[in-house]
Amino acid sequence: MKRLLFLLIGAALAASAFAQDKKPAKKAAVAQVADARPTIPTENFHAQCIGCHGIPGYKTAFPEVYHVPKIAGQQPGYIVAALKAYKSGERSHPSMRGIAASLNEDQMKALADYYGAPAK
Amino acid sequence: MSRFLAIVIGAALAFNLQARGNAEKGKQKAAQVCAACHGPDGNKPSAPDQPVLAGQYYDYLLRALGDYKNGRRTNPIMKGFAGQLSPQDMQDLAAWFSSQPTSSLHDQR
Repeated sequence: MKRLLFLLIGAALAASAFAQDKKPAKKAAVAQVADARPTIPTENFHAQCIGCHGIPGYKTAFPEVYHVPKIAGQQPGYIVAALKAYKSGERSHPSMRGIAASLNEDQMKALADYYGAPAK
Repeated sequence: MSRFLAIVIGAALAFNLQARGNAEKGKQKAAQVCAACHGPDGNKPSAPDQPVLAGQYYDYLLRALGDYKNGRRTNPIMKGFAGQLSPQDMQDLAAWFSSQPTSSLHDQR
């Protein structure tokens, strides 16, 4: 009887582990929701932003030269809106369009929360 | 000669400052046009998807206003507001918001 109980419990555990494998939690780390792209570690996910937005005073390239906007401390909701507008083509900066097109909404939100956080 | 040079440089600087917009005039314009949504100094957006403007770069702000006016950026609300601005207004507004101390924007990590 005891052995049967063990078997049943073991089977139940295995089944639940299997179910979890099949259906990962929706709010998992950003890296896990990346579509078919290579996995980018969550802690370095903003690496693609740093090259332009991480250099104080950095400017865009020819032909139209102006300062790359400050995004640290910006409202997360606005950052998401801007990324979506780049992805949809509503906003037209070529580099930003390319980067935003590679992001899904969860990734946009993760970046927005990262940059929207107050100064450390 | 050096006095002449000083005058030329002074004039160039003065011209340059003027070309960068008048923050005081921008302040007045901002109170009429921008403040309701962005706050009088650009620090108080009234909705989560509106940007903080205070402390943003002058040339980026100018660029954004121009893009809204000429349709390169297609936000319907901003098109309405930027559409009524003259180039001088835009410079003044960019001068005003970029010179305001920001309560949130900072140099990024």
